[in-house]
Amino acid sequence: MNPILEQIYATILPSAPFVIAAYALVWLALLVYVVFVTVRLKRTEAQVTALEEALAHRQTDETASVLKKD
Amino acid sequence: MARASIKKPSTFAQYRTLLAKDLRREFRTKEMLTAMGIYALLVLVVYGAALSQTSNQFDILQMAAGLLWALVVFTSLLGLNRSFAHEQENACLEGILLVPLDRSVVFLAKATSNLIFLVVVEIVVLPLFYFFFLTTTQPADTWPLIWLPLLVGTVGIAGIGTLLATITVNSRGKDVLLAVLFIPLVFPLLYACVAASTVVLAGGDVEGVFGNSLLLAGGYDVVMVLLSWVLYDYVISA
Amino acid sequence: MGKDGYRSPQTGGVLDRIAPVVTLIGALLSTAGFVLAFTLAGPVNGATVNGVEVIGGEMVSNQLLFSQKIFYFHMPVAVTSMVMIGFVAYFGIRFLQTRDAAWDERARIAAGIALLFVLATMFTGEMWERFEWGVWWTWEPRLTTYFILMLLVFAYFVMRASFDEPERRATFASVYGIVMFIDVPITFAITRIVPSSVHPTIFRTDSGLSPDMLLPLLLSLFGMLCIAYGLFRLRLRAQELDERVEHIKEQLDEA
Repeated sequence: MNPILEQIYATILPSAPFVIAAYALVWLALLVYVVFVTVRLKRTEAQVTALEEALAHRQTDETASVLKKD
Repeated sequence: MARASIKKPSTFAQYRTLLAKDLRREFRTKEMLTAMGIYALLVLVVYGAALSQTSNQFDILQMAAGLLWALVVFTSLLGLNRSFAHEQENACLEGILLVPLDRSVVFLAKATSNLIFLVVVEIVVLPLFYFFFLTTTQPADTWPLIWLPLLVGTVGIAGIGTLLATITVNSRGKDVLLAVLFIPLVFPLLYACVAASTVVLAGGDVEGVFGNSLLLAGGYDVVMVLLSWVLYDYVISA
Repeated sequence: MGKDGYRSPQTGGVLDRIAPVVTLIGALLSTAGFVLAFTLAGPVNGATVNGVEVIGGEMVSNQLLFSQKIFYFHMPVAVTSMVMIGFVAYFGIRFLQTRDAAWDERARIAAGIALLFVLATMFTGEMWERFEWGVWWTWEPRLTTYFILMLLVFAYFVMRASFDEPERRATFASVYGIVMFIDVPITFAITRIVPSSVHPTIFRTDSGLSPDMLLPLLLSLFGMLCIAYGLFRLRLRAQELDERVEHIKEQLDEA
């Protein structure tokens, strides 16, 4: 590598980490957002299952009260 | 028998009465002016502490405009926060809303009163600022022009400030919220006005930078005041 | 049906059916842009070198800048954040016209995504400028504009957090969204036209865009826009689902 070529490429190596960091950060930001949305979705899912259980209890209580009446 | 007819007051009459209400209440109690005046003085004291130890080659003139504008912004924040205090206490705001007037007149009246208070405080504080900091330096001979950026800036601050003050008056933690909302919005105006004032104080090519930044600051004022005028009806009746 | 035939915006319509496809296209486009940025796009010339070398059949007499490659994600992400801020303002206007909470919901989600892309812009801008000028922060026009935009979006969310009644919160949020949208171009104009007397604005080498640079730029730009659209629809439907679950819960408690 003669000195001139060295000079021409002088900035490539030192700047590489910054370029990689920039692209990685953008990707990371998007990832964090997607994870944030999926976490909320899981919370909603948990609530739906809780609702279903509550509904199931309500059915059993109603049938029990109907049986008791007659 | 003369028919009893009530002439609907013109909007200018409503504007004048609302403005008179604000000014009369202020000049009776004088609490807002004294508060802002003392606050500005205290900021000067803080500047004094900050700059007294600097060596004498430190050219204060370059920073003078910036310091002055920081002072104006924070004092106006204090003033804007209190501008709706009276309306809030004795349900005066509800009273005003009952009157069949175009709600934006309330905005104009309140903005004008804020503008007047700010100008009064600036007139008091500017000589003090000069006295404390600039006596040793030799400002450029164009320094009397400083009133122009000050005026354009204060109009912008009063306009957008009143709109935001109406929003934050009935929120929790209102003075912090006003600062958080106000400063990013007023940044371009501040940037332009500081540039203009620095050129005037420290001397520089007056026509180029001074003319440009004042034009831009004026444009900002027009856009923001119009926008506040249009949106005010939603804000005050929310 | 609303009073004047106004129909409140629904999710689950055609906009949502195309959402996954759009996101996929976005992912493909931006990766293509990413790859081409490093292969097709020619390097940008930096400082001149005292000497000439023949590289790849061309006479090269100045440093080849690598840090400029960040530009191919920096600009698209910045434009996308601007587009999202525009949507926040649009949803704000629609809310003020119709007082329909659905529009306010969309404004809030759009502001969230705008914040995401503003942060991404700040990251990439910071990295690029850190290498090119070796400073962590200068009040250079572009950076200042995005810093202010970030503060505005933070303020938007701080304000939303400090009001309890949904009606009042939504009105003030829409008003602030509109004012924010008007403020950004002014900041952009003022920071560029008023030359900061202290130090002149530093000229970057990326202004001239040769065609081989334009292609990766456009690819990643449209890629980012599609990704933003996909994220928006995803978040919106998740939010809608959440509200429906809450609604069912209330009914169950009453019954």
